[in-house]
Amino acid sequence: MNALERHRKLTTIWASEKGFKGWFSTVNHTDLGRMFLVTAFFFFIIGGLLAMLIRVQLATPHSAFAGPEIYNQIFTMHGTIMMFLFAIPTFEGLAIYLLPKILGTRDLAFPRLTAYGYWCYAFGGSMMLVAMVFGIAPNGGWFMYPPLSSAIYSPGINTDFWLIGITFVEISAIAAAVEITVSILKYRAPGMSLDKMPIFAWYALITALMILTGFPPLILGSVLLEVERAFGFPFFQADLGGDSLLWQHLFWLFGHPEVYIIFLPAAGVISTILPVMCRTTLLGYGWIVAAALALAFLSFGLWVHHMFTTGIPHMGLAFFSAASTLVAVPTGVQIFAWIGTMWKGRPELRLPMLHLLGFFFTFVIGGLTGVMVAVVPFDWQAHDTAFITAHLHYVLFGGFVFPIFAGIYYWLPHVTGRRRFFRLGELAFALVFIGFHVTFLAMHWVGLLGQRRRIPTYAPEDGWTAINLISSVGSFVLAIGIGMILIDVILHVLTASRGRRNPWGAGTLEWAMPTPPLAYNFASLPHITSRDPLVDEPDLAVQLARGEGYLGTPRNTWRETLTVDIASGKPDMHVIYPSNTRLPILMSAVTGVFFVSLLLKFYWTVPVAVIGVALLVWRWVWGLGRGADLAPLSIGHGITLPNAGMTDRSPGWWGSVFLLTANATFFGSLLFGFAFLWTVAPGWPPPVWFDPSMTELGAGLSGAIIGPIAMRLAKSVNGKGRNSVTGATMALFGAILIGVACAAMMWRTPSPVDHAYGATLFVLGSYGLFHACLAMLMTSFLIARIVRGFTSAVRRAEFSIIGLWVDYTSVIGVLVLLAAHLPGVLQ
Amino acid sequence: MKDIFRILIAPLVWFASFSAVYGLHGLLCGHEVSGVVLGLPLERAYLVAAYVCAIAVQVVLIVALYSSRLASPSPFVRFVSHATGWVGLIATIWSLVPVVFTTYCG
Repeated sequence: MNALERHRKLTTIWASEKGFKGWFSTVNHTDLGRMFLVTAFFFFIIGGLLAMLIRVQLATPHSAFAGPEIYNQIFTMHGTIMMFLFAIPTFEGLAIYLLPKILGTRDLAFPRLTAYGYWCYAFGGSMMLVAMVFGIAPNGGWFMYPPLSSAIYSPGINTDFWLIGITFVEISAIAAAVEITVSILKYRAPGMSLDKMPIFAWYALITALMILTGFPPLILGSVLLEVERAFGFPFFQADLGGDSLLWQHLFWLFGHPEVYIIFLPAAGVISTILPVMCRTTLLGYGWIVAAALALAFLSFGLWVHHMFTTGIPHMGLAFFSAASTLVAVPTGVQIFAWIGTMWKGRPELRLPMLHLLGFFFTFVIGGLTGVMVAVVPFDWQAHDTAFITAHLHYVLFGGFVFPIFAGIYYWLPHVTGRRRFFRLGELAFALVFIGFHVTFLAMHWVGLLGQRRRIPTYAPEDGWTAINLISSVGSFVLAIGIGMILIDVILHVLTASRGRRNPWGAGTLEWAMPTPPLAYNFASLPHITSRDPLVDEPDLAVQLARGEGYLGTPRNTWRETLTVDIASGKPDMHVIYPSNTRLPILMSAVTGVFFVSLLLKFYWTVPVAVIGVALLVWRWVWGLGRGADLAPLSIGHGITLPNAGMTDRSPGWWGSVFLLTANATFFGSLLFGFAFLWTVAPGWPPPVWFDPSMTELGAGLSGAIIGPIAMRLAKSVNGKGRNSVTGATMALFGAILIGVACAAMMWRTPSPVDHAYGATLFVLGSYGLFHACLAMLMTSFLIARIVRGFTSAVRRAEFSIIGLWVDYTSVIGVLVLLAAHLPGVLQ
Repeated sequence: MKDIFRILIAPLVWFASFSAVYGLHGLLCGHEVSGVVLGLPLERAYLVAAYVCAIAVQVVLIVALYSSRLASPSPFVRFVSHATGWVGLIATIWSLVPVVFTTYCG
C-alpha cells in the first residue's frame, strides 16, 4: 500500500461527517478541541465585554450607567464566565486538540466522552447566557457566599442559575480530566517512557489530576446550597446547626487549586514554546516536573488564606500563611528554569515570544503581591479591596492569558496550515501589554487607598476618581488590543497563504504531520527514542506517512490505536475506537433536561431525565465489546498485542479508577462537611439523634460483604470458561441490600429541614442509595452481557470494571451506614 | 502505576498530615481539653506529638525512596520521586511549625 492509498483508506475510516452535520456527530479530538477553543473564546469575548461595562461604571463617581442590581449581575457573570466558561475550557480544548498529536497517537482514550463533555459545556454555558439576556443572571459574586446567596437573602432564580449551570458545566471538566489523565498515562507512542514525555503532557496530567480532586468539593457545595434553597435543608444556617463557613471551606478547597489549575497548563505552554523560541532545549526538565508536582500539592494546602478575616484561630491562620509562602518556591524553580533556558539559548523576538515576555513581567509582579497577601496582617488590611482584584488579574491574566496568546500564535499555523501574512499581532501585543498594566497597576493603588471590591459607585470626596478614570482608559486600550488579536487571527484563518510544515523548527511530534492535521493524525505511529523526536529524525513525518511505524496498514474499518505501559512506554494493548455518533449530544441534552427541571422546579421531569440518561448509558456501553474472541493482533515490527477488551486493565478500568478518585473526593468532602458541622458549627448537638437499627445496619454490612466477594467469584468462574451469572446475580443482591439499608436510613432520619444533622444524614443516605442503584444497573448489565454471549474466559474486561464500582459502593455504603448508626449507638 | 505512586506518595502524605493536624487543632479548640503533660499544656502536647509523627513519616518515606529495594529502576522517576520526597518533608516541617510557638485557640 503506498502513502496515498493509505491516506485515502485512513481518511474513509476516521473522517467526521462532512459539513454542519459533522459538528453533532464528531468524536474526533481535533474537531472537538477546535470546538472547545472557539466556544471558550466566544465566552472570553462576552466576559471581556462585561469587564468593559464594569470599567464604564467605575470610570466616574456617582455613575448612573447601571443600577446596583444590574451591576451585581455584571461583575458576577464576568468572574463566573472567565473562570468556568473560558479558562478551564480553554485548557480542555488545548489539551484535547494537542495531546494525541504530541503523544504520537490517533485520538484520546474515550472519544465519545470528549464529545459528551463538550456538549455539556456548551449547553451549561448557554444556560448562563440565557439568564443574562433575561436579566436574571447570578448576582451574588462569583463565589456565592451564603447567607447572601441563601433563599432568604437571594429569593429569585439568579443564584440557582449559577449553582445548577456551573454544576452542569463541571461535568465537562470532570469528563475531560478523566479523558486527559488516561490518555497521557496509557495512550502514547511506543517507546515514550515517562522521561520522554513532552513537558506539556506532564503539566496537562498534573492539571487533570488537580481537576479530579479540586472540583468535587465545589460540586458538593453547589449541591448542598441548591438543596438548601430548594428544600430548606439548613446546611449553611447557623440557627439550625449549619454554618455558612462550611461553604467557604468547600468553595476554597476548590477555588485555590483552581488558580493553579489555570496556571499550570499555561506553564506547560511556556515550557513548550520557550525553548523553540530560544532555539535550545528546556533547562531542568526533571526539576520542572518536580516543581509542577510540588506546586499542585501545595496548592491544596492554601485554601484558608482566602478566609483570613473570618475569625479563624491564630494557629490555623499560621498554617495556611506558612503554606502560602512556601508555594512561591516551586513557582520560583520554574521561573528560574525558564530564565535559564533563555540564557543558554538564542532568543528570537517572534510574536509568541513577545507574549511570553509579557507573561514574565506580569506574572512575577502578581506572584510578589501574592506573597504580600499571604502575610496575615497585610491581608487583613487589603482583604476585599481593589488591591486583591488587581493581584488576581496579574496572576490570571499574566499567568494564563499571555501564555495562551503565545500558544495561539504558536499553534495557529498547525491548526490552519497557513502562515501569517498580516502583522497586526505585534501592535496588538503592545496595546494589550500597556492597557493591562495601566488598568491594574492603577487598581492596586486605588485598593490601597481603600476602594472595596464589588462596589457599584463611589463619591468624589473618596479621592479615587482620577485613578479609576486612568484604570478605565487602560481597560479600553486593553480591549482594543484584544480585538485586534481577534481580527489578526480571523484574517489569518481566512486569507493567509499556505505555510510549510513545522515553521518554528520544533522538535515535538505535533509537527510530524501534514497541517491542518488529518483526522487520523499519523498514518502510522512512531517509535520514540528521545524527548525531541523531530530533532533526532527530521524526516520522521515522511517515514510515518509511508507506513513505517506501528499500525501502518488499516485493518477492516477499524479506528485502531495502541496503549503502552505507563512507566516504560512498552506497547501493551490494541484498541478499536467507536466511530461517529450522535449519542453524546443526545445524552448531554437529556442531562440538560435533568438540570433545567431542577432549575425550573419541574420535579416530575427529573426522574424521566434520570431514566433517559440511564437508558442512553446502557446503549452507549452495549455497543462496546465483541460477540466473539479476538486473537492477539499484529501492530507491525513483529509485535502482537491483545485487544483491550481481552484484558483486566482495559481503558474503561483506568477511566473508572480516575472517575472514582473524583467521586471519593466528593464523598470525602461530604464527610469533612459532616465533621466540620459537628465540631465547629453552633447549635450542636442536635435535638434528636438517629435511632440506630441493627437490622438495617446488618443488612447493609451483609450487602457490602456479599457484593465484592460475589464479583470476584463471578470473575474467577468466567476465567475458567464457565457461566458466571450466579456470581453476578449475587453481586446484584449485595447492591440491593446496601440500597435498602440506605433507603431505610433516609426514611427514618430526623427531619432534614429542622437541623443540619438530619439534612447531612439524608444527603449521606442519598449518596449511598445512588451508588447502590448504580451498582444494580451495572451488575444487571453484566448479567445481560453474560446471557447474550458478550463475555468469555478471554473477553473479561467488564468484570474488572464493574468489580471496581461494586467495591467502591460497598466501602462507601459501610461508611454511610456507620456515620448514621454509630453516633446513636454511642449516645 | 508504581512509579506514579513513588512520585506522589510524599506530597500526598504531607497533604494528609497537614489536614489531620489542622483537623486535630479544630477538635482541640472545639472541645475544651485541659491538663498538662511534660510541662506543656495538653493541647500543645497533642499538636507537637502530631507534628513530630508527621515529620517522622516523611523521613521514613525519604529513606524508602532512596533505598535500592524500593526505588524505581528508572533514573528519571528516581530523581523526581526524591525531589517530591524532599518537598513532602520540607513542606511538613515548614507548614506545621506553627504548632510549636503560636497560640492555639486564640
